[in-house]
Amino acid sequence: MTPLLVAAGAFVAIGAAVATGARNARIASLGLALVLVAAPFVADPLPGPGPLPLAFSVVAGILAGFLVFVAARRVPDGSGSSLGLPATVGAAAAGFAVGLGATAVALPRLGPDAALAAGLAACAVAIWPIAIPRDVFRLGSALIVLVDGTILLLTAFAGTPEALNGMLAGIALVALAAAVAAVTRGAVAATGGSAVPDDLPGRRAAAARAGEDLR
Amino acid sequence: MSVLPFLAVTIVGAVIATLLRDLRRLGTLAGFGAVVAALAAACFVRPETPLGIGGGALAGSDHLRLVLTLCLGSGLLALVVARLATWQPSAPGALLGGAAGIGLALGLAGTSPGLLGVAAATIAASALALGSAAAPSRIRALARELRGATTSLVVGLIAAGIVPGTAADAAPGAANAEPAATALVLLGMALVVAHRFGAIPLHARVSRLADAAPSGALPILAAWLPAAWGLVILGWAPAALGPSSGGLSLERDLIVTLALVTLLLGTVAALIQDEVEHVVAYTIVADAGVALLALAALDPAARDAARAWVLVFATTRTAMIGWTIAFRTAFGSGRLRDTTGWLRRAPTLGVALAGILVASVGWPGLLAWDARLAILQSATAGPALLMAYAGSLGAGAAICRVLVIGGGRPSAIVAGALGELPRLPARRVAEATAPGTRRARRGGTSAAAGALARRLRVVAGRLTGAAAAAGRDARPTLELNRVPLRAFALILLAGLALLAAAGSFGIDAAARAPGPALPSLPPFVGG
Repeated sequence: MTPLLVAAGAFVAIGAAVATGARNARIASLGLALVLVAAPFVADPLPGPGPLPLAFSVVAGILAGFLVFVAARRVPDGSGSSLGLPATVGAAAAGFAVGLGATAVALPRLGPDAALAAGLAACAVAIWPIAIPRDVFRLGSALIVLVDGTILLLTAFAGTPEALNGMLAGIALVALAAAVAAVTRGAVAATGGSAVPDDLPGRRAAAARAGEDLR
Repeated sequence: MSVLPFLAVTIVGAVIATLLRDLRRLGTLAGFGAVVAALAAACFVRPETPLGIGGGALAGSDHLRLVLTLCLGSGLLALVVARLATWQPSAPGALLGGAAGIGLALGLAGTSPGLLGVAAATIAASALALGSAAAPSRIRALARELRGATTSLVVGLIAAGIVPGTAADAAPGAANAEPAATALVLLGMALVVAHRFGAIPLHARVSRLADAAPSGALPILAAWLPAAWGLVILGWAPAALGPSSGGLSLERDLIVTLALVTLLLGTVAALIQDEVEHVVAYTIVADAGVALLALAALDPAARDAARAWVLVFATTRTAMIGWTIAFRTAFGSGRLRDTTGWLRRAPTLGVALAGILVASVGWPGLLAWDARLAILQSATAGPALLMAYAGSLGAGAAICRVLVIGGGRPSAIVAGALGELPRLPARRVAEATAPGTRRARRGGTSAAAGALARRLRVVAGRLTGAAAAAGRDARPTLELNRVPLRAFALILLAGLALLAAAGSFGIDAAARAPGPALPSLPPFVGG
């Protein structure tokens, strides 16, 4: 475990905490971009062969972060995280510490401890906004953090993924970020905010659907 | 290499169809043209030497070709039915995006790439279908789809990481999973299948999707993408968990119980629904029980049967969705209590629904029947098999109920609806028949010969008028004949479902065929 790996893992953990806990949506999207760009570096050895797989993952992360940043510009002020930044930073720090401490219990794994630490930190902070979704932007950010955290956990347990898996994960993350941008834009246009709209009972929803189709 | 052209055509088509979706006429042309081009490219997918990509591989197979052609073919016909009813700008892009992802997921070697591909397809198709119109119900449905697809991906990746499909799929030096972990992996994958298909108690997703999604995009979202999830997971399960299936009896019993509950309660729910879209949604829910039984079997034979059954399931449900679009448009309502006696006003819809009924249920010797029965028998026995067998006929019972309601006394809504006979614009008919009538007045010595000649000239005049109307200005004729054209497209859709149910196109052989040979790579889950 090198200091560089731990630093990259710490960047992921901090970014995940900011992405899910920051009150301002733009700052949250910057935290998400930090997660997406730093996560491919939390692997030993780095994705290969050659620099292309790593570059693909980084570019995909930048693109996904940009899409989420564009969505964040539409989110009105006051739709912050329900937990708050101190609580999410605490959860991320706890997850990170547990992951680093896995060395003490000799958990069988093929990847670095930093990947386990970063993955646990990311998953820990992502669970709450997904379990109780109140805001589509926060939900989408948490989903992206969860996917990245899961890939880091797999990296920790099974080693650096094949280049194809890394590229497909990048494609899935970009698709997810584009969907987050679409759902945020739609929510702001439909309701004026980014809150998840209330569910309609079936018959009313069917009538509403018919009205939406017949244009 | 045959998958790459398909992916290129489909992705480019999805982008073009999405960019032009706000232009009504051009968007229609671009969308339909792109789907036809993708369908043509899908027809050329064939078994071949795998193409190595980044430590993995991409290859076509007969089964993949059938999945893609049936998905795009039935989806295209459903789009035609929807376009003749209303304008749904996001539906072609969603179909193409979903089909591209299915092609990628099922063409790749290994379980993790398959899961990543099908999750990306679900996310992309959902965003394209539900993200365009700023309606609260669609935003809610899109948020639910994103959450469901992502959590399914996470559970699937962890499960496939703990218990890889084969030794080649596993990381070098990885230890075998503990029995308790294997049990959790099976339950996790069952949860994913249950959620994607909408098994009870996770059925809210399907019914809400039926409420919110554009009806033209519903086949890809509610039938084909869950089918792709099922194919990926069922390709992994027998290889990964089959050897340890003896120690998983409790977990398998739990899944079988969930499947039986889903089959029976899904059938009951489909039988009591009033909206036709909900009837279709709950037949999909009921069929989730069959998918769960295929997973619980952990048997390669059940997997092969499921690979054939999934094609029949998705094609028949696409046909049913097309039928609901035509039904709602024909009567202006999808409520069965308001549309009693609909069969008398729309007999072609009745013929199509009867065809879908036959395709859904089948009979002994037909692929639809045999594949479903093979799945049920591989996972259940005794009273459980009887219950599963009865529950698996739920879709047929629900369709029979709709047909019986259609045979009742016509309601006021039905009586006021347009008929299905072709019509000509009034001005064209008058122009066409007038010269013939004038000529009939001038000639003719005997009364009988004159009447015959007059009648022939009237018929010829009508045909001339129809040709002239079609040639000079087809739009009024098209506007007048949306109902019969919809009915014609629906008959084609039901015919496609019947062909799939009968095992045409070599479905059975393709489902049993092994995937491409991979000397040093993980196996193809959909190959």
